[in-house]
Amino acid sequence: MTIEITTKEHTIRIIVLALNGRLDAFEAPALRKVCDDYLAQQVNHIVFDLTEVSMLDSAGLAVLVSTLKRTRLANGDVRLIWPRAEAAARILKLTKFDQVFQSIEPSQIVPRGF
Amino acid sequence: MRIAMVTTHPPSKGSLNEYGYHFVRYLRLKADTISELTLLVDELPTGGEYALETAPGSVPVKIVPCWKFGALDNALRIRKAVQAAHPDVVLFNLQFATFGDKKIPATLGLLTPWLLKRSGFKVAILLHNIMETVNLKSAGFGGNPLIEAVIRLFGNIVTRFLLSVDMVAVTIPKYVEILEGKYGAKNVMLAPHGSFEEPTDAVPNTMPGGASTVMTFGKFGTYKTVDILVEAHAMLQPDHPNLRLVIAGTDSPNAAGYLEGVQKKYAHVTNVEYTGYVAETDVPRIFGEAWVVAFPYTSTTGSSGVLHQAGGFGKAVVLPDLGDLAELVQEEGYDGEFFEPNDAQSLADSIRRVIDHPERQMEIGSHNYMAANGLPIDEVVDWYLIHFQEILKK
Repeated sequence: MTIEITTKEHTIRIIVLALNGRLDAFEAPALRKVCDDYLAQQVNHIVFDLTEVSMLDSAGLAVLVSTLKRTRLANGDVRLIWPRAEAAARILKLTKFDQVFQSIEPSQIVPRGF
Repeated sequence: MRIAMVTTHPPSKGSLNEYGYHFVRYLRLKADTISELTLLVDELPTGGEYALETAPGSVPVKIVPCWKFGALDNALRIRKAVQAAHPDVVLFNLQFATFGDKKIPATLGLLTPWLLKRSGFKVAILLHNIMETVNLKSAGFGGNPLIEAVIRLFGNIVTRFLLSVDMVAVTIPKYVEILEGKYGAKNVMLAPHGSFEEPTDAVPNTMPGGASTVMTFGKFGTYKTVDILVEAHAMLQPDHPNLRLVIAGTDSPNAAGYLEGVQKKYAHVTNVEYTGYVAETDVPRIFGEAWVVAFPYTSTTGSSGVLHQAGGFGKAVVLPDLGDLAELVQEEGYDGEFFEPNDAQSLADSIRRVIDHPERQMEIGSHNYMAANGLPIDEVVDWYLIHFQEILKK
């Protein structure tokens, strides 16, 4: 009797969006478009690398939160790589989204974060 | 998630009714998260009736009128209604005078969130103003330094009661810092006001046809007074004879008869229109006809819904150079011409810098439209729901 082997492959597609510059009301629509495109492709695990974001306002944060909501509804999630600039971190702390988003180190992007 | 929301809502004319209306409008669209919504609203005068249109797929809503402006037993009645609704989270849409314009009913009403928390419910508050930044004299309270000191003391005590709930949301970054710094609060978060209008790709008409029109919108008589705006209008008339001034809105509940007094005082000033109460359906027209929206405020008591509305309609604005408002404009990416508070000449000059310079008018209007579109109230509502989910996990 020969052994029956069934193979299942689980592939999680993780997109890392590394941002550089200001993320405000004027720049947010471009990021929203990119996120919309990936979500339309069923990508539900997204990492926003905010290391080089110099300034983040509520409109910029709104894109991150909207993406979080939509990925979670599809059983995915969003992770953040924390910004270096205090001007970017401030809005995350004020809105308490620093307690909602899970932040990771760049080395943790690999799936175990999910 | 089952949510109960204590709020004013049209046709009630209570303060924050407009914010309540828009917040509820978008809560009802969140059927992927909310299973039932109960609105705990103020009782209407005899003959008044709440009516919400139902749309397929929207969250079922139950309306329970269970409190009255100025009544002493609001806390107990609201608790009874919440116990009957048995929600997962109770959200309050509050400012310090929500439950009354007299000190005792106002204070007793503000103890309701604490009472519900003590009764075992998860409670969140959207607090539109904080005692530390309210100019009591302008807001219609006070007038005597001793009385003001007593009010401030009670304000501090009430604030501590408010902070005892699961989450307190405020609309201005400075408020978070004050509540964290002074009270050591860990449960205060910034939840920006958000724009009421649906975002569209096309920028609305920042420069409508017809006579150039300056418009102000709100409930007047306390910290929003129109006296200097009418005086500024009179100063502009010699070289802008067709300029219209539209004063849209009613007296503040704390300043009955204010606008009637203004009409008498400035009866000699022409081209001034007083609209009275503006129904929701008339808001787009009122904003649409404006060339510039003016904010003749003497102090601020929270974020400005009117600023976000003006942005949503792509309008240029003239603003007093007041701490909270100036910070808000910068934080949320708005633009406008500033004037010295209480200075009619400075206000007239700021209006002139807009209406005499179409390119500046268009620049401010487009800029504000982008800022307003950046964070519609639809998304702000999601922020609350995500935080509610975190509260329920605890």
